[in-house]
Amino acid sequence: MISRVAETRDRQAYAALFKHFAPRVKAYLRRGGMDAGEAEELTQEVMLNIWRKAGYFDAARGGAATWVFAIVRNARIDHARRRRDARLTGQPPPEEADLAPSAESIALTTEREAHLRCALNSLGPEQKQIVQLSFFSDTPHTAIANALNLPLGTVKSRVRLAMAKLRVLLEEMP
Amino acid sequence: MISHHPSPETLLAHATGALAAGHAVVVAAHLQGCAQCEAAQTRMESLGGALLEEFAPEPLADEAFAQVLARLDDPAPAPTASLRQARLALPSGVSLPAVLRGAEIGRWLWIGLGLRYSRVRLPWAPEQNVMLLKVAGGRKVLHHSHGGLELTQVIWGGFHDITGQYGPGDIGEADETTEHQPVADPEGCICLASLEGGLRLPWFTRLFGG
Ligand SMILES: [Zn+2]
Repeated sequence: MISRVAETRDRQAYAALFKHFAPRVKAYLRRGGMDAGEAEELTQEVMLNIWRKAGYFDAARGGAATWVFAIVRNARIDHARRRRDARLTGQPPPEEADLAPSAESIALTTEREAHLRCALNSLGPEQKQIVQLSFFSDTPHTAIANALNLPLGTVKSRVRLAMAKLRVLLEEMP
Repeated sequence: MISHHPSPETLLAHATGALAAGHAVVVAAHLQGCAQCEAAQTRMESLGGALLEEFAPEPLADEAFAQVLARLDDPAPAPTASLRQARLALPSGVSLPAVLRGAEIGRWLWIGLGLRYSRVRLPWAPEQNVMLLKVAGGRKVLHHSHGGLELTQVIWGGFHDITGQYGPGDIGEADETTEHQPVADPEGCICLASLEGGLRLPWFTRLFGG
């Protein structure tokens, strides 16, 4: 879908991407503590970035959601900086080689990501919450300590354990 | 052969966007030369994507799609104005990490016996304390204290301390709990470093003739 947007500037494909991702991008931003109006505005910026940067999408590196995640993450960082100083420019995008990935490497990536989703869903509820908060909270350690009623000093090792558990689950998969 | 990588916490913070901009540049320089950490980073971004897919969608305003459609043909924001990049004298065959392409790079300044410093200014985060350091062979640290996280990516040459030998591509991670006395290799060392806090120099520079 993203490749179609990149290659033929296909607005129908873009509409489908918008319909799927925009509400999830907004949910991501709201999760990070942004108010509804700001999240709405930044979601529109992110969706515009998806149109503009579609040519950078590399299906051998990850699926569409992975790519969108990285774009929202970067937009959120730039947004926080500009809120402090409006004159700042965004960080330049990395210059990426324009190579067409092979069908084989795309298939491998799709399989790798399917395993990852499986591993994520085999985590216990508490460890899954730790992973979620690590990714989407502005102050992950405080958020984890509050959500799980843990002393702040133990959070770091709990995060490390949850991430290690994920790795083990991944390695156990066929 | 790279033997020193960022800690899991630092890699996770980088992947989730929680790492300070200065540290993020040093980690990005490491990732460009380290397939193992680059793969770990990709894995974490995939995890971010999987979590994003699981969110309950939050509807946008009715007119949101039309508003974005109307802007699709707007010109993208202009690229940053020309950057001041000093042409640093580097050993032959050595080039700066590609991630510094968008940064301003100052001239080598002599700041002490056998020590040169070049300020790296990130236009998107100018308050960050990032620098290139060039240390002559054999310099060592007598005493130091850290304030917050310090990252040091070796670009050329190397150093060693009780945690081991650091060569090109290795990253050193230190904080206030770290106690070590690094010594530059005989040929010297060029590093990219980031520090938290104001303009001060890292442990690496608190050197004494050795
Ligand atoms: Zn590494």
